Amino acid sequence: MTGKLALNAKGLSKGYKIGKLKQQVLKGVDFTAYHGQVTMVMGPSGSGKSTLIAALSGLMKPDEGEVMALGENLWKKKRGKIDRFRLDHCGFIFQGFNLFPSLNATQQVEQVLKYQKVKKSEAHRRAVEVLDAVGLKHRLKQKPAELSGGEKQRVAIARALSKMPSLIFADEPTSALDSVSGQVVIKLLHQAAKERGAAVVVVTHDPRLEAYADRVIHMEDGKILSDTMISGPPVIV
Amino acid sequence: MSLALSTLIYEWRRYLAAVIALAVAGLLVLAMTGMFMGMALSFTATVDKSPAQIMILPPQAEGLFGDSGQPRRMIPMVYEHPGVAEVQPMIMNWAMWSNFPKDGQPAKGDGVRVVVVDPVKGAVTLPSDFSDATIEALKEPFAVILDRTSLGKLGVQVGDKAKMNGRTVTVAGVVDGYPNMFNTQVFTSYQTAKLIYVADDGPRVGPLLVKLKDPTRAKQVAAELNVLGAGQFKAWTREELSKSSQMGMMKEGGIAIMIGFMALVGVFIGIVITWQTLQGAILANIKEFASLRALGVSMGELRLIIIELSFWVGVAGLILTVILVSGVAMLAKVGGVPMDFPLFLDIPVAIMLMVIAILSGLFSLGILKKSQPADLLR
Ligand SMILES: Nc1ncnc2c1ncn2[C@@H]1O[C@H](COP(=O)(O)OP(=O)(O)O)[C@@H](O)[C@H]1O
Ligand SMILES: [Mg+2]
Repeated sequence: MTGKLALNAKGLSKGYKIGKLKQQVLKGVDFTAYHGQVTMVMGPSGSGKSTLIAALSGLMKPDEGEVMALGENLWKKKRGKIDRFRLDHCGFIFQGFNLFPSLNATQQVEQVLKYQKVKKSEAHRRAVEVLDAVGLKHRLKQKPAELSGGEKQRVAIARALSKMPSLIFADEPTSALDSVSGQVVIKLLHQAAKERGAAVVVVTHDPRLEAYADRVIHMEDGKILSDTMISGPPVIV
Repeated sequence: MSLALSTLIYEWRRYLAAVIALAVAGLLVLAMTGMFMGMALSFTATVDKSPAQIMILPPQAEGLFGDSGQPRRMIPMVYEHPGVAEVQPMIMNWAMWSNFPKDGQPAKGDGVRVVVVDPVKGAVTLPSDFSDATIEALKEPFAVILDRTSLGKLGVQVGDKAKMNGRTVTVAGVVDGYPNMFNTQVFTSYQTAKLIYVADDGPRVGPLLVKLKDPTRAKQVAAELNVLGAGQFKAWTREELSKSSQMGMMKEGGIAIMIGFMALVGVFIGIVITWQTLQGAILANIKEFASLRALGVSMGELRLIIIELSFWVGVAGLILTVILVSGVAMLAKVGGVPMDFPLFLDIPVAIMLMVIAILSGLFSLGILKKSQPADLLR
């Protein structure tokens, strides 16, 4: 799958109304992301990175432009179908971990799989497997309160990966973590791209993460300033 | 375990207000109805424990309480039925009671209801649960029998003397199961009743107690007696009369209205508190819900979680209600207050609590709009 276009967005624009003023946050952004690559979006705070991710992932409709995701025109779909698309194909990792306080690590993962109609025993097997893969084999029964920030983020990653998504969106996944935990997290995302062939879009302003990027896109003021392929152009198959 | 249930258990403190609100609403209604039902039950205790299978009341009477006077000539009419073994009028009359206070004891004076019984085993006027000792005690002139819970109210102990209508009587014993909220019942023999001026030999009598040769034919005989009486009286089986008297109690004095009002207040308070509590609790987890939304879980599924949550809150409320009501029932037993919680009240109250919980859940669904996954992106 490596090298295949996963996301192809054209002319994305989005503005927020604050009182009578309209603030343009995205100004005609074109964006692509490939399977098997970590695409890193960097830029100062308020430059529109999160808004871009929201538009790419079907969380917030842009005012203008279109998003082709896995070959489907995302914003032409009905709302229910967009939910369905995310359920089938998208994984999310946020700055906050957003784990249910009452569920242990295994249950957090199983909860999501339940909605994918994965059978109970299969869901359990997959949950344990993916938690093992993120290095939490010894933490299966722990609830969020008993986990460190880095461990919580790894549970969140496991939750996202367990669905076997083709698209993974991470918005500042390491900014609430210490640098060691941050390294672990970005490595896992990198691994997901390499081993699973997922298209991983990571928003960050942590320059240390650049080492794991295949491609770095700089944004400022709602526009893309630069787009650098680090690991060379993807092999088109 | 489902997400809803484990959330409720893990974060029970958050849901406590809702659970308590439901339990208090349940307790409010059940305690009220329980008290009135207990009262009604103690009113009808004399009917329920009578050995008579059939009771004769004037045609217009709907129960034991109200105008139950009728002409004495009904007695021979009832005897005309070949299945009838014995007919006796039920005599209940008012008397003034006062105790002889011992040192430091307060003087107690009260109106009491004298229930006249024949101290003969098997007599139609004698409650079937009176012991032999009680029957023997009643045979003495000026002997009276009280319910155990009335001793304090009337300021006497077993063996004490007291005054009724100015004559000195002796408290010869106690029975259990005849408490009365409003008027204390005092059992005497017909002889004693004469001595203290409460027996009435006039042309009118109260309800007639009818003992049958074959107790199993009560329903049939009652119907035949009604034909025989041709509208001059109405024959009731004991069970019919007991039920109708209880219902009459409920209808009387706006008790039903009061209970209805309490139920309404309970429902209202229950809904408001449960709803607000649920909303707050959902809001506390809104980011988690939003992250599920992001991962593609539909709004409908999240709504189901909330409804399930409110269902479990209702179940928890029910459990707490049972605990509270059991406590109140125990206290009432200790305090001698008659209370009764018949199933035909418990089940609607349980349903009411579940409806409150689920309705609150439905009202709380709106808050889910705040679970915008885009808000998690910042
Ligand atoms: N829901 C919103 N309503 C109004 N303004 C918003 C909203 N979300 C984001 N913004 C504004 O849009 C701009 C870009 O936000 P964002 O996409 O989050 O930038 P970044 O992720 O690069 O920091 C910011 O100035 C922010 O204040
Ligand atoms: Mg951001």
